[in-house]
Amino acid sequence: MEQLIGELKEHLIEELNLEEITPEDIDSEAPLFRDGLGLDSIDALEIILILEKYYGIKLSNSAEAKPIFYSVKTLAEYIMKNRK
Amino acid sequence: MGVVVTGVGIVSALGVGVQSNIVSMREGRSGISAHPSILKTGNILPVGELRMTNDELHRLADIPLHKHLSRTALLGIIAAREALADAKAEPSKRIGLVSSTSVGGMDLTEGFFREFMKDDSAGRLRDVRMHDCGAITSAMAHYCGINAYTTTISTACSSAANAVMFGAKLIEHDVVDYVVAGGSDALSAFTLNGFKSLMILDRQACRPFDRSRAGLNLGEGAGYLVLQGDKNSAPNYYCRLAGYANRNDAHHQTATSAGGEGAYLAMAEALKLANLSPRAVSYINAHGTGTQNNDSAESAAFIRLFGENIPAFSSTKGFTGHTLAAAGGIEAAYSVLSVAKGFLYPNLNFSHPIEEFGLIPNSEFSEGKDIDCVLSNSFGFGGNCSSLVFVR
Amino acid sequence: MKCYIDSVVVDSRIQADDIRELIPDALLRRRMSRLLRTAVATAVSCVGGVENIASLDAIITATGWGCLTDSERFLRNMISEDEQLLNPTPFIQSTFNTVGGIIALMGKNHCYNMTYVNRSHSFEDALLDSMIRVADGSSRNLLVGAFDEQTQSQYRIMERMGVFRSQSPGEGSVFVRILSEKSQSSLAQLVRLDFPGNSLNETEVLERYATSSASLLLFNSYRDKGLFPTASAHSFARAVELIRRGESEVVVYNEYLGATPTVSVVQCVG
Repeated sequence: MEQLIGELKEHLIEELNLEEITPEDIDSEAPLFRDGLGLDSIDALEIILILEKYYGIKLSNSAEAKPIFYSVKTLAEYIMKNRK
Repeated sequence: MGVVVTGVGIVSALGVGVQSNIVSMREGRSGISAHPSILKTGNILPVGELRMTNDELHRLADIPLHKHLSRTALLGIIAAREALADAKAEPSKRIGLVSSTSVGGMDLTEGFFREFMKDDSAGRLRDVRMHDCGAITSAMAHYCGINAYTTTISTACSSAANAVMFGAKLIEHDVVDYVVAGGSDALSAFTLNGFKSLMILDRQACRPFDRSRAGLNLGEGAGYLVLQGDKNSAPNYYCRLAGYANRNDAHHQTATSAGGEGAYLAMAEALKLANLSPRAVSYINAHGTGTQNNDSAESAAFIRLFGENIPAFSSTKGFTGHTLAAAGGIEAAYSVLSVAKGFLYPNLNFSHPIEEFGLIPNSEFSEGKDIDCVLSNSFGFGGNCSSLVFVR
Repeated sequence: MKCYIDSVVVDSRIQADDIRELIPDALLRRRMSRLLRTAVATAVSCVGGVENIASLDAIITATGWGCLTDSERFLRNMISEDEQLLNPTPFIQSTFNTVGGIIALMGKNHCYNMTYVNRSHSFEDALLDSMIRVADGSSRNLLVGAFDEQTQSQYRIMERMGVFRSQSPGEGSVFVRILSEKSQSSLAQLVRLDFPGNSLNETEVLERYATSSASLLLFNSYRDKGLFPTASAHSFARAVELIRRGESEVVVYNEYLGATPTVSVVQCVG
């Protein structure tokens, strides 16, 4: 789980172009959207792509993504349960 | 000097020419097909595609095949010519062109790039000659007898409405005697895939303003108006362009603010310029793409502007799809005809209103109504919101 | 029709270190390609900081080729991934009105926002729109700018078309602030803009547009910046600089990339 969380943070930094941020800067339990990292709807789409590209999980619409994408931790938990 | 509309030209999935478009809407026949037939793509998604190949369009426009024009240019030329003939524009006068496009010549470029990517000496240069937006306008000017000022606007989905607006300014400031104003966009794999990556395409036919709406369908086409000063035009013009406005939502690059701030400001300012109160509006041709976001934001803006008295409104995108840069032009043309002939257009695929707002669009085509004032909306990426007001 | 040029900034004045200060929102900045960063930074520098965007009443941008890096990136991915797993970001950033949209976003400014994409006339079309808006009272404080980038692919395509036999490639951004009223900070006034239907030689240009024998002529000086659609904006910037240094009038004529010419006449402020 820790390894997945670390890996996820790297993917987020890479795919979302979070330039001045290191994995240590990202709090696994803090909200990703609105507060916390302050990501937006375009980032949500990019995260959906990360799930598909690296973990084989296909989310068909961005609406079901909301609770899953709350924090890095909830994202990791979802991946653990659903990865191919 | 007031600005009047003396010519109209339309090409869309409903067909070539104003008549085909009106007849289809009268008969409730949508131009949306289950998937593209002419556009080369692996995507199986509903689109508003004109069922004519580029070769057929060349022949229809009487332009030799070897000229190898972009599809966007061909659609534009056909629609602009219809509008100019309709206006009986005199070649001895200054005839200008304000065109718009978001796709440009991408329909040809994407074919070129496929080869070029493998080997940078491969790919036929004739496929990229017309890539940029200005090249489309240049071709249109050449084939439509334009002899005065031309320009090209590109502001995503509000492009053609902005073109009409700037065209009006050129008339008001006596830069030209006639101006052909509007937009053209052909379907391209680039845009289809682009919108797919944004997850705002519906896998079924779009359902503007419906509770269950799930996205837009892309379409292609071209729509142009001919504008003149009221002092110089023949008395039997279609209608007046009484108001217009361009405002920016300034909320997010692709999403609209929940309250539709930009939309509200554009509509309010357009009416203010026309010296009309919201009560004067007979019909709104909405932007109504069928996305969750737009239709909610636009509804919120309607309520904010009109309160309890929302006029008849509909989105015609259930017929044509979202024609991007051409949308503002095609829909301006529909709006002009609405005022001139009393047409009210139906909003296809509507069953239940959006819970939060409860607004119900017009579902039947009708004609001969007293339509004194039509508001036409076009909102797009980059926060661009434009509205046009046509009156009798 | 005339208007006052209050500020001109060319991208060469922007250093890489300035970008963070000019575009303070890191989340906005991170998605921006080199062109977008440069163009937006130039724009912000022109108005003297993000906080001054809010007072603008028109934002008008011009580009001939748009954001080529992003369009290409999306196109390449689309082709190589066979239309699967596509990132939305390059698609969004590739739209021509992205720069105008970002400026509005940064300043939360709902004002008039327009983008001209019309080859070598793009910047002059934006100037015409500005002059018209000033003349009819629609706007008093306008930001007008032009930007274009060269990419390896664009260069290769143009090379194959043979255009670099006599010209060099180029790219750049220029932003100008235009005011309807003369002020202490007015650098010059734009008094005339024209789009002649055919080529003119230097003598003809001066005959038709110069108002005195002291007029300077910048004839096809777009070449100084290289061949790209909005190179003429840099000629305009140079003209304003010449006025600032004491010239009384500069006529700018440019004709390139297969289009008819544009002429602008800039004068010192009385």
